[in-house]
Parts: sequence; structure tokens; C-alpha cells
Amino acid sequence: MQLIAKLGILADAAKYDASCASSGAPKRSSKGRDGLGATNGMGICHSYTPDGRCVSLLKVLLTNFCLYDCQYCVNRRTSNVPRARFTPEEVVRLTLDFYRRNCISGLFLSSGIIRSADYTMEQLIRVARLLREEHEFRGYIHLKTIPDADPLLIEEAGRLADRLSVNIELPTDESLQLLAPEKKASTIRLAMGTIHQGQLAVAGERNAPRFTPAGQSTQLIVGADSTDDHTILGNAQALYQGYALKRVYYSAFSPIPDSPSSVPLAAPPLLREHRLYQADFLMRGYGYSAGELLREAGNLALDIDPKLAWALANREVFPLDVNRAEPALLARIPGIGLRSVQRLVALRRERRIRYDDLVQLRCVLDKARPFIVTSDYRPPEAEVRSGLLRARLREPQAPQQMGLWA
Amino acid sequence: MIALDCGNDFATWREQARTLLSHNIDPCDVVWAQGLMHDLLALPTPLPTGRGSFRARIPAALLGQLEQAGRYRGDQRWSLLYEVLWRVAHGDRTAMLAGDRLGSELQRRIKQVSREAHHLHAFVRFVPLPPQLAEHLQLDLVAFHEPAHDILHSASEHFAERLGRQRWLIATPEDGIRYDGNALDYRKQCPEQWQQWAQQADDPDGELWPTYYRHTFNPARVNPGALAQHMPGRFWRHLPEGALIGQLVGQAQRGKQRDGQAAEVASQGGKRIVPRGQSGPL
Ligand code: SF4
Repeated sequence: MQLIAKLGILADAAKYDASCASSGAPKRSSKGRDGLGATNGMGICHSYTPDGRCVSLLKVLLTNFCLYDCQYCVNRRTSNVPRARFTPEEVVRLTLDFYRRNCISGLFLSSGIIRSADYTMEQLIRVARLLREEHEFRGYIHLKTIPDADPLLIEEAGRLADRLSVNIELPTDESLQLLAPEKKASTIRLAMGTIHQGQLAVAGERNAPRFTPAGQSTQLIVGADSTDDHTILGNAQALYQGYALKRVYYSAFSPIPDSPSSVPLAAPPLLREHRLYQADFLMRGYGYSAGELLREAGNLALDIDPKLAWALANREVFPLDVNRAEPALLARIPGIGLRSVQRLVALRRERRIRYDDLVQLRCVLDKARPFIVTSDYRPPEAEVRSGLLRARLREPQAPQQMGLWA
Repeated sequence: MIALDCGNDFATWREQARTLLSHNIDPCDVVWAQGLMHDLLALPTPLPTGRGSFRARIPAALLGQLEQAGRYRGDQRWSLLYEVLWRVAHGDRTAMLAGDRLGSELQRRIKQVSREAHHLHAFVRFVPLPPQLAEHLQLDLVAFHEPAHDILHSASEHFAERLGRQRWLIATPEDGIRYDGNALDYRKQCPEQWQQWAQQADDPDGELWPTYYRHTFNPARVNPGALAQHMPGRFWRHLPEGALIGQLVGQAQRGKQRDGQAAEVASQGGKRIVPRGQSGPL
């Protein structure tokens, strides 16, 4: 099979992984040296596809042959899809070619499971080794970890890659048993633990060899089973705390060709996915806990964002005086982001904050207005308490993708 | 009215601004323009000679911010900077902070400029020259790019870090930059020959990238608005994948298929896998 035909099949098979980040790697440069590639901590999106997602890495499978039968996966062994397999050299060639063209900042390589978990992991490592050692490639490398692989192999991968990921996909044991019978929650967590241990072993040691400097990540599928957002966010929080994960990705389940009856054949729940990302960002960046964002079982509201939902549920905290409130509290005002908080703090050292300053800072005042006090503005008491507030602040629900699913 | 031309060069502007400020000349009395002054009512007064007596304290961070904002192509490109400088020099630091009207505009320009540098790093597409030509021109990779602001010079070092000893050039309609593996050669006026090399390069392996782009797209998630927001349409015509965008959106929206697979893959014969030791269909 020609390289270009393999590329088509193996890129198509890899697109259900949401992650394409190239950020968080240490500073590396090839200036005046042999080899190729640089990283500086910032990721670069070299393109966007018409689904609006960033293209930062060459994201392919080494092969989409797979012995497992995960129901949600297009590559499961019972799926009737065309199959292909790259040689490690072919992946290297594609990575270097796209990198020189400035189409990508690195490689995200994953694979179906062939022969055995160890064999598959060895193949992934071989690609990374060729890139790093033979071609002195200093760009970004993200390797998918095969959970059942020998911990020594996982450690080897961690020394070559900037990031490793082990996908959880389904957050409960019951769902895994039902939809991914060959996978086990316990081995997935063990693999995450191996990676975390590898990171801890070099933490604080300046001369130790690098180990996944851009951290580890995972992905949860949303909408393939009946798991609710409460469980998903609780899981994410536990992962951030227990394994120091860099990112949890949420992937709205896209219907797959030749779909088995065990998973839905419906439009991907994109808005739900979006709300989960917002909630996740609030946990990582703003200090909200999962329990604050969703107090009981169920899903996040779709008609308002989770920050606004928290403010509406905690009205006694508001209105907040923008001239006095602690920065951490300012950041809890709907419509005011972290960057605006920094700028407000800088500005109020010089003078009192007025309403117009928030306009100039492009804060979303429609959302912020009922929750703030400035030197020349105070919301009417009735407004802050009003039960109508939520109705007024709802986002119009644009039906997504009506063309496809109506 | 004092009319000045700094040739869109920050160092020149800074000298002029220093002189003006030392004579305490009000921003209303000075204008920067390129070439001839169009405002015939403004009778140009010459720039005073020598330094005046006004000594201002300028925060160290401001100069860097002014330099960055000076790369912005737009109305009042240099007058705005002088107004900021003048206000800060007279003790009003809000002029450089977002929140203040003038400060917001300054910060907006800085942001646009760094965004444009980011666009350069993201959307430049090099074409590798065939070995013989590369040897002849001493050049491995060429690209054509159209930035909206003057960021080529300050933002191109990035490619020397990425590409090691590779020799490359980036041509634009205005300026150009070339790297020989050791040093950068920046031209304010891009040599015509550079533009020709960059725009006429043959690319026999050029189909691989568009193939990848087609297949990494998930038609079940089509969302062209998000694409346009992150990758402005003005860049599409120099991107090898640019021509595919409309086509892919069209196919996805016509609803030919409801899953994530590309049509080209769906039309190929499939293969179910039987694990070793098992016989017959699963
Ligand atoms: S192991 Fe499961 S999820 Fe991974 S490729 Fe195979 S079938 Fe798909």
C-alpha cells in the first residue's frame, strides 16, 4: 500500500482522540545544530480543521489492526474498516517532512493492539527512539501508553516523550466491562501510577534525565454510556489530585461507521462537552472544586455556563466590590476572566475602578452587571435577588448541526 | 504643526520622540505621516534642534511596549505612541494600562502584533526545494506569507531554532528574510527574486499534508465558525489545505454521512480481525 493511502486510513482512525496539544515541553532549540525541532513551552496550532479543532501534531495510529473489541472504537476487531500499518520509518519520514514544512510541531502516536501489549508499546518506542536519536528531533512527542505493557517499557517511553497518555475513556468499572471487555480500570490506573512515579523520581533533581516534562493526560468519552457529568468531574478531580495529571480531555462520542448497537448512533453531544471543558478549566485555573460546580448527581446546565451557574447558586456572595474584593473572588464574577482580574488589580493601584473601565477591558457586562459594584455603579437590589435573572442570562440554544441531524 | 516621517522605523521614531519630549511639545502639535503631507492646512514646522530642558522619567517597561505597538500597521501608528509617552512622562501611568481609553488601544495593538507573530509561527508553510536546486541556490526551504503587521523581522528567529542548519527564506509582499544556517538576512524591501522562488516552487510531495488534513477532520463535528475565528480567511490562500476547507464543510453539511469517517475511507473494503486461536467469525 502506498504511503499516502496508509496516511489516509491511519489519520482517519486516530481522529477520535481529542488531544492535540504541544504545550508544556521544556525549552529546546536546534539553532546552529544538526537535527531539527524546537519547543518553548507554548504550543502552536498550525491549522484548524472545519470541525474547529486545532492541528498541532501529526496524530496517527501506527496501525489500526487491533485485537481488542472496544465498542465505542472504530478500530475494534469486529469493525468492518480498511486496515493499514505504518513501518516506524514511515512515521518518522512523515513527521520530519511535515515538521520542515511547518505544518506541525511534533507527533502524537498511538496504536491498535497487535500481537501483545508489550510488542505494541515497543513499536511506539521505536518510532520515538528513531526520531530522538537517529534524527536528533527536538520537537514535541506524545505517545499513547498501552496500559497492559510492562512498566519498564512505560518508563522507557517516558524518557523519550514529552507527554504520555493513558485513556480512561469510560469512567466507571461497569461501563468498561460492558463496552471495553478487555480493558480494566485497575491496569489503567496502574499505568498512570507508573508514569506519575517516573515524574516524581526526577522532580527536583536538576541533572536527572527528563521524564514526560509536559506531563500526562487522559481522555474521557462523553455520551457513549450513561455516566453523568457529576461522576465525570469527580473522576477528573481525583485524577488531577492523585496522579498530577496535566489535562483531562473530554470527547463527545461521535457515531462510528458500522456502529454496534451497544453505543448510540446520535449526534455528538458537543454542547455538553463544551460545558465539561469550561468546568474543567474552572477547576484547574480558578480553584473551584468539582463539588462546588455540581452539587448532586446529574449533568451541568447546558443553557448557562458553569461559572454563572455557581454565581446564581451562591448569590449571598454578591454583589462584589471591584475596588475591594480579593483577586480570587473577583475571578468568580461571571463575565470577568483571569486576565481582566490582573488588569483590574493593576488599574486599581492607580485609581478607583469605574463602570466604563470594565467596558474598556471588554468584560462581558451583560453577565457581570448584576454581580458587581464599582465606584459609580451598584446593581438594583431587586435584580441581584431576582429569580428572573437566570432566565435573562440564558444563552440562546442554537441547535447544533441541524443540517446533519434534523 | 510639526510633521515627521520616521520611515516606519522605531529607532528613528524614538529619536524624534525624545527630542519632542525634551522640548515638552504637546501631542496635538505633531503628526507623523509617510511621504508628502496631505493636510495642506498644516503648515509644517521643523523639529526643534538639540535637546530641550524637560527631563522625564519613563518606566523601563514602556519602551518595550511602545516598540511592540510600533509594529502595528494602522492609523495614527506613531502619533498614538507619542501621546502615550507624553502622558506617562507627565505622571499619568494609566495611559499605558488597559482600562484607560488610550491605554486600551495601546494594549490592543500590542496584542494584535503578538497575535500576528503567532500567526507567522503557525501558518507559514515552507516548500522544500529539490536537492539540485537547493544546492544551486544554497536554500532548502521557501515560503510566502502575508502578515498584516511588521512582525517578520522580530518574529523570524523562531524558525532558526526549529530548523537547525536548514537554509530558508520567507518572502512577503513588503519585506523578506533569509537564513543561511548561521545568520539572518532581513530586507525591508523583499528582493523580487525571493518572491519568485517562494511563489513558484514545485512540490512533488505536496499531496501528503492535504491528505492528512482531510482525514483528521471529523465531519460529525463540523463547525466552520470556530475555524474562521482561529484561522482568519486571509491566510487560507497561502495554505496548502486552504482550498479544501470549503469543500469539506460543504460535504459535511450536505449530510452525506452521519459518522466521523471520511468518505474515501468508507468506500474502501473493510477487514474484521480474528484473533489467533479463534476460528470463524466472531
Ligand atoms: S484497544 Fe480498544 S480503543 Fe484501543 S484501538 Fe483497540 S479497540 Fe480501539
